[in-house]
Amino acid sequence: MLHLLKIDLKKLTSYRTFWVVCGLYFLTIGFSTASGMEFLKWLANTFDKFGSSLNIDRIPLYHFPDVWLNLVWWSGFFKVLLGIMVVISISNEYTYRTLRQNIIDGLSRWEFLASKILTNLLLSLISVVLIFIIALVTGFIYTPEINWNYVFTDIEFYPAYLLELFTFLSYALMLGIFVQRSGLTIILLLLSYMLEAIVKANIDDYFPWLIPYFPMESISALVPIPFYRYAFQEIQDYVDPAAVAIASAWMILFNYFSYLKLKRSDL
Amino acid sequence: MDTVLTTKHLTKDFGRLRAVDDLSFEVKRGQVFGLLGPNGSGKTTTLGMLMGVVNPTVGEFSWFGEIPNHHVRKKIGAVLEHPIFYPYLTGQKNLELNAMIKQCPEENIPGVLELVELADRRNDKYKTYSLGMKQRLAIASALLNEPTVLILDEPTNGLDPMGIAEIRELIKKIAANGKTIILASHLLDEVQKVCSHFAILKKGRLVHVGPVDDVGKGAETVEVKADLPDFTEVLMQFPGTASILPENGVFLVTLREDFHSKDLNAFLIERGVVANHLVTKRKSLEKVFLEILSEPR
Repeated sequence: MLHLLKIDLKKLTSYRTFWVVCGLYFLTIGFSTASGMEFLKWLANTFDKFGSSLNIDRIPLYHFPDVWLNLVWWSGFFKVLLGIMVVISISNEYTYRTLRQNIIDGLSRWEFLASKILTNLLLSLISVVLIFIIALVTGFIYTPEINWNYVFTDIEFYPAYLLELFTFLSYALMLGIFVQRSGLTIILLLLSYMLEAIVKANIDDYFPWLIPYFPMESISALVPIPFYRYAFQEIQDYVDPAAVAIASAWMILFNYFSYLKLKRSDL
Repeated sequence: MDTVLTTKHLTKDFGRLRAVDDLSFEVKRGQVFGLLGPNGSGKTTTLGMLMGVVNPTVGEFSWFGEIPNHHVRKKIGAVLEHPIFYPYLTGQKNLELNAMIKQCPEENIPGVLELVELADRRNDKYKTYSLGMKQRLAIASALLNEPTVLILDEPTNGLDPMGIAEIRELIKKIAANGKTIILASHLLDEVQKVCSHFAILKKGRLVHVGPVDDVGKGAETVEVKADLPDFTEVLMQFPGTASILPENGVFLVTLREDFHSKDLNAFLIERGVVANHLVTKRKSLEKVFLEILSEPR
């Protein structure tokens, strides 16, 4: 397994686009999650009214245990950048025809796919670890009184975040394998949420129970929007097991469809 | 002799087009096997099936008597159609990647780069290479895992005469090491120069298979010239003469079966005639090829 991951990393690590896109992604999620408090302070200093009407120190953005969910939810928005990288990586294999050559050279079709899936897993894991460390550090900095009972409450959102990323990247990979052209695939990837929203809006009146089963919906449902707790005092501080089951099923299906397509096509 | 490759009723349909039709042949160890045919006759599709990138519609094949799988492919070095590499990687890195895929030691890389004379360009990106260099890198990559079988598809496509000669020498050098080579080409001259056996494909069907040496068999033709006024009559007296055709001051003598050019030479010397030009004309593969292809099927 490690061997296959090394093969794909060898392709990527000398590819400048990979460093640019991944660099952008990790810098964005890193800085934006770490600097939320500084941003609020800046807002307070710049706009007089903002500071006086709201005591920013009382906003528990970075307080344990809220920080876990807050940061994970926020950084989830940027996964589309990673998705674009995955699309570029797979569609390159088609445009350069290196997929064909890899098979000729002795990789099985499954091994080829596995090398891509393993890279998806690695990119997801790095994101999770990065956000975890940032949450841990910022939590200790901004929480007024550390109560050890709360420090590690709610970290179950991290496995959920991992599943969110990995399922989304599996989707991007599958899209790339079916469409094979990077431009078109990236557009489809970006439109996925919108297309699904249109379908959901139309279906809402007739089959509302179907909504949670949509792929993008299930991915989003893994990490719920945290701010309701501030507005409505209504808290979902657990990972919905149904959402995990649905998203896992999609994750398996996406990769299985990729495998079927790859196995049957003439390269 | 052990069999390297066997195909049985190999067939491939692309929609309504039958690209390869009921192909059955064998390649033995040590052969240099030429796969001939006009453009679009199914050569590359056949090789694609043999290398696992095209799924056969019907039929089967086996490498070394084994059911084909990706482990077998690691023992085969293959270049199909164009050289394919990652353009943004250097030649060296591309080969390192290939070594990882083929699971062979990276220590083989300098040797093959030396063989194809690319050692001094190994740290340049692949996309900066000329076509000839790309072809040579592809051959280096095919040789990387010290394969027992080498598959080359139009290896001299788009090369200049010098490049063609270099690749031809390279193939001969590799064949001399006892490697089995399958060479797809439409350059007949090339196949005749390097191959021991050949097969001809026409619209996906196998129309001929046999040793290259058989091409020259059959009636021999001798081109002969002597400064003698009644040379035709002398030639007529030779018991092996079947027909004589004067052409540009020389005579094309077609011999009867079991007579060879040396018999004619001996006869002339016996008669005190010294020929100042005597050449055995072998039937060229090109002629055979065109003959076979023009046969209605």
